[in-house]
Amino acid sequence: MNRRMRSLHRSMGAAIALFVMLLSITGILLNHSSDLKLDKHYLTWPWLLSHYGVGDVKADAVFLLEQSVISQFGTEIFVNAKPVTNAQRPLLGGVVLDEVIVLATDDVLILLTADGEFIERMGAAAGVPPMIQNIGLFHGAPVIQTREGMWRSDFMLDKWELTSLQGVGWSLPSPMPESIRNELVKYFHGEGVTAEHVLLDVHNGRILGSIGVWLLDLVGILLTVLSLTGIWMWLRRIR
Amino acid sequence: MKSTKFWQTIFIGLVLCSIVVPAFSASVNQTNEDFIAETFANQVPKSKVVWMKDDLRPAIANILGHEYAGLRIRYWQQEQRTAWILDEIGKESPITFGVIITMGKVEQVKVLAYRESRGGEIQQRAFSRQYADAELSEQKLDRHIDGISGATLSVRAMTSVVTLALYLTKFINQTE
Repeated sequence: MNRRMRSLHRSMGAAIALFVMLLSITGILLNHSSDLKLDKHYLTWPWLLSHYGVGDVKADAVFLLEQSVISQFGTEIFVNAKPVTNAQRPLLGGVVLDEVIVLATDDVLILLTADGEFIERMGAAAGVPPMIQNIGLFHGAPVIQTREGMWRSDFMLDKWELTSLQGVGWSLPSPMPESIRNELVKYFHGEGVTAEHVLLDVHNGRILGSIGVWLLDLVGILLTVLSLTGIWMWLRRIR
Repeated sequence: MKSTKFWQTIFIGLVLCSIVVPAFSASVNQTNEDFIAETFANQVPKSKVVWMKDDLRPAIANILGHEYAGLRIRYWQQEQRTAWILDEIGKESPITFGVIITMGKVEQVKVLAYRESRGGEIQQRAFSRQYADAELSEQKLDRHIDGISGATLSVRAMTSVVTLALYLTKFINQTE
């Protein structure tokens, strides 16, 4: 009986030794997290950010307009990585007109300065044809394609005439430049994940999700059994 | 058995509510162009804009309680009637208001699009009627507006927008 108990004790000890070391090291580090400034040290490893679901951002639409990257996330419109205004409808395109950025949704034109400051929203009430499908430029003049046809205006954008033109430079979606994507990741998800957060998740098993929690529970049970078998063997030796 | 049916009905009702309520949370009562067309009986004047210049910006911020998010505001004017379409955040989402000012008084205020999940009571005519004939008095309305329980921020947004429309009308009439 004693031999069997000793064998069980040894096997369990070997099985959970790694976990005990992991728990001890992470526990000691967490005890001194403020002194070690672990709460201020951000980890930005792509796989780790991806594991925490903060690794990437996916824009609903992206357009490159001269020096500016225009993107839409839900109803929010960004110029480069700065939120500038909102649009209730999906962004269809944009052009730059006399240093004014003109963005189009199907029901309005959104005007921004070159710096991304919001100027105004112009819809059908301001004379813009409804049901816009795309926006482009023809020799510097703004052109929009609607369900009812092609319309041309001037920089004022409040008078539109039906036209039929060939060679319009239509606005096309673009991939998000990497530098802007990184800035947007920071905007949406902050600097990254703190080392303290990761250590705590390793310590309590949550780094592996619910499986990790169950695994740590199992380690806890094994540690309890290990203690009991150790005490039992020690008591047997005293007698 | 009856009790089970009762709870089943309650559960289905709650599920349906959760589907239907968000669907109503973004409601367009009238499009901007329809509001303008109705206001001027289809003889819509050419729209004009007022630019947020240095002297105007702080006054507007004072009325709204925050900076106006835009560099210019569009309006439509015919003789003594001026129509404004203005957006203001209620709690989280922009509410679109249509305001008609005649001879320096509020002729009508309408909620054209309401996107908040709560506080939609301000869309009722019985509420917006309180603003009829309101005038500007030292950058405030000349009257008290009764609030609506649960719609405090939407009421505040409507009051700010009506005050702003009165102020802007006075401003453009003085500068023209």
